[in-house]
Amino acid sequence: MSAGLDAAAVKACCAAGYSSDLVSLLLGDSYHPGGLTLTRQLFDRVGLRAGQRLVDVASGRGTSTLLAAQEYGARVEGVDLSAGNVALASGAAAAAGLADRAEFHLGDAEDVPLPDGCADVVICECALCTFPDKRTALAEMARLVVPGGRVGITDVAADRDRLPDELTGLTAWIACVADARPLAEYADLAAEAGFRVLTTERHTNALSRMIDQIEARLELFRMTAKPRLEALGIDFAKAGPVLEAARRAVDDGTLDYVLMVAEKPCE
Amino acid sequence: MTISETDQQPRERDEVFLELTRSICPVCKRTIDAEVNARENQVFLRKRCPEHGEFEARVYGDAEMYVDIQRFNKPGTRPLQTQTVVKDGCPSDCGLCPEHKQHACLGIIEVNTGCNLDCPICFADSGSPRANGPDGYSITLEQCATMLDAFVAAEGEPEVVMFSGGEPTIHPDILAMIDLAQERPINAVNLNTNGIRLASDKSFVAELGRRNRPGRRVNIYLQFDGLEAATHTAIRGRDLRGIKQKALDNCAEAGLTVTLVAAIEKDVNEHEIGPIIRHGLGHPAVRSVAFQPVTHSGRHVEFDPLTRLTNSDVLHSIADQLPQWFTLSDFFPVPCCAPTCRSITYLITQGHPDDPDFGLVPVPRLLQVEDYLDYVSNRVIPDYAIREALEKLWSASAFVGTETNDERLTQVAEALDCADACGVNLPEALAGITDNAFMIVVQDFQDPYTLNVRQLMKCCVEEITPDGRLIPFCAYNSVGYREEIRAKMRSVEVAPVVPNALPLQPQLAATPYGSKRVSP
Repeated sequence: MSAGLDAAAVKACCAAGYSSDLVSLLLGDSYHPGGLTLTRQLFDRVGLRAGQRLVDVASGRGTSTLLAAQEYGARVEGVDLSAGNVALASGAAAAAGLADRAEFHLGDAEDVPLPDGCADVVICECALCTFPDKRTALAEMARLVVPGGRVGITDVAADRDRLPDELTGLTAWIACVADARPLAEYADLAAEAGFRVLTTERHTNALSRMIDQIEARLELFRMTAKPRLEALGIDFAKAGPVLEAARRAVDDGTLDYVLMVAEKPCE
Repeated sequence: MTISETDQQPRERDEVFLELTRSICPVCKRTIDAEVNARENQVFLRKRCPEHGEFEARVYGDAEMYVDIQRFNKPGTRPLQTQTVVKDGCPSDCGLCPEHKQHACLGIIEVNTGCNLDCPICFADSGSPRANGPDGYSITLEQCATMLDAFVAAEGEPEVVMFSGGEPTIHPDILAMIDLAQERPINAVNLNTNGIRLASDKSFVAELGRRNRPGRRVNIYLQFDGLEAATHTAIRGRDLRGIKQKALDNCAEAGLTVTLVAAIEKDVNEHEIGPIIRHGLGHPAVRSVAFQPVTHSGRHVEFDPLTRLTNSDVLHSIADQLPQWFTLSDFFPVPCCAPTCRSITYLITQGHPDDPDFGLVPVPRLLQVEDYLDYVSNRVIPDYAIREALEKLWSASAFVGTETNDERLTQVAEALDCADACGVNLPEALAGITDNAFMIVVQDFQDPYTLNVRQLMKCCVEEITPDGRLIPFCAYNSVGYREEIRAKMRSVEVAPVVPNALPLQPQLAATPYGSKRVSP
């Protein structure tokens, strides 16, 4: 689809925190696989309880963050790299009457503007794969969480050596997936950051559904804005084979969506 | 339900007991307890009348789906006004009584009992013998006004009223009745017709077209059971294919939108489900298709209640017959009524299905509908404005082409939230989206065999009666209200209609109208 981006540009695009135009076009600004259902499962797996302090790294428009406040009774803070998202999330918190226990901050996952040990639970949904320096991002999560606290992560997992050619070409949505790691590597990275991994789960259906959604959006764009997007280098004729390759990669386990819960050991 | 087990060893039942509810005896119509059970991944309703014995009917063909979709259930809205008091309990106090759980999304006015067809299948038991019989009737303009006023009093600003029959287009005052509706704060009129007059009377179609204007839409709800002659003969008694096509073309010419409405009967036209959708997508007048498994109320051919078709069977058929376009997960239940009563999807389409670059996108693939319409799991949802838009779209009052519907679709398109990405302003690009929207509805109406009071209490499709009541459609056709109104309109006695069901055959006698009654 978009053949002209180089690796550095991809990193820049992803580091821009999902506000990359093409990713935004194909997925929407607030999308993550599995939707609220998987978010609730994540909260259940980390054992989120009323009164706990939760930090949501890459909180987007704050939907999950506010869900933690409203349904679980947590005190929540969200961090996002996009000022627009922070404003939207703050507005949503005020509208829901949660301004007293939900705050949103502009900030980078690799340098979170919050103090050490400020959280009982840290979550990060569908964002770790986009961070260029995953070690630093996980070290930041380890710094934020108290000893005995937990981190819950959902993300795309990819076995990059086995990715088919169609997917290693720099197509727009794969641009972010291309820096996804296998589940085992996420677990190793978490362990390196000092976490003890408690649970890992595969949520393959969430990814299949994401591919369906990308296909539907592409089809909608083909119907409504084809000349404009072709001028930008999107080749609609290539989209079908790319999506088929993605489906095959999901079927054979090369691409997956995973959930991981890890604990910071008590000293 | 018997206690005659004689085995010494405890044995496991072959079914999962899902719920205890109330229903009616299909023979004497008295209210009786009923069980809902899942067996072999299907759902059955079983009940026992102390006088007439045990009855069982298939109510959902996919037990897993039946259980899964219960969460798509929206808290009801009280109507502004109810018309009766609670005396004997549901379903004997219609209606609506104060215990009813939902307001009326759709009101139906049957303007006559006569028809220019005598179909083998007609839940209203209409036709020429009825028109000339002792209990046939046509309502007057005054009665129509009273009925519309009752609807407005109950709803404030009703979204849509449907004129039905009989065959409403043969009522001499039908245009004046549409005018009466349009003078009131009712946004849309739906005209339920077999299309015979639309095919032959172009000036009538033009009059309808003239009344179809912004804020006061007129949609044609066109009986359309299939594209094969055998289907027409089996369900309508004659081959109406040419008439249907002419009616469709005349509607297109007059700028009228059309819903194709297919009654689907087992082993008759199940295989036509896909072709009907394709036909609708290819005709400029058609903006929606509605499938209704045949309701075994009124007049119908002999059927086996244990193998009758249900919503999930139609949904599976859509996915099986048009796999290039649809999967089961493209359909979501309408949460304003009971979730197993009606399922809907919306499509954005472009071009003719025969074109090589025909485009079709089911809206539920673009956003996570369950994050908005699952009222059991969700206490927090991503965007309340989107939920509200989806509620209006996934409703019994939704008709493609009304301004309400257009606005809501645009709102949902805006929720695709990538404004200005790549310099494409999606909401702007989608400004024309509403002209390309298409709706598919699957609706199973209850009959005396399948009636479940739990579903009935949340029904949002109401028959408006000449005495100013709003009676849930399935109660009207099953419990005896239709017979009651007929008797009252002509001051005659009307025998209760009984389903033409396989197990009841020895007890049945024919009525003059083709329906069945209990043998005297």
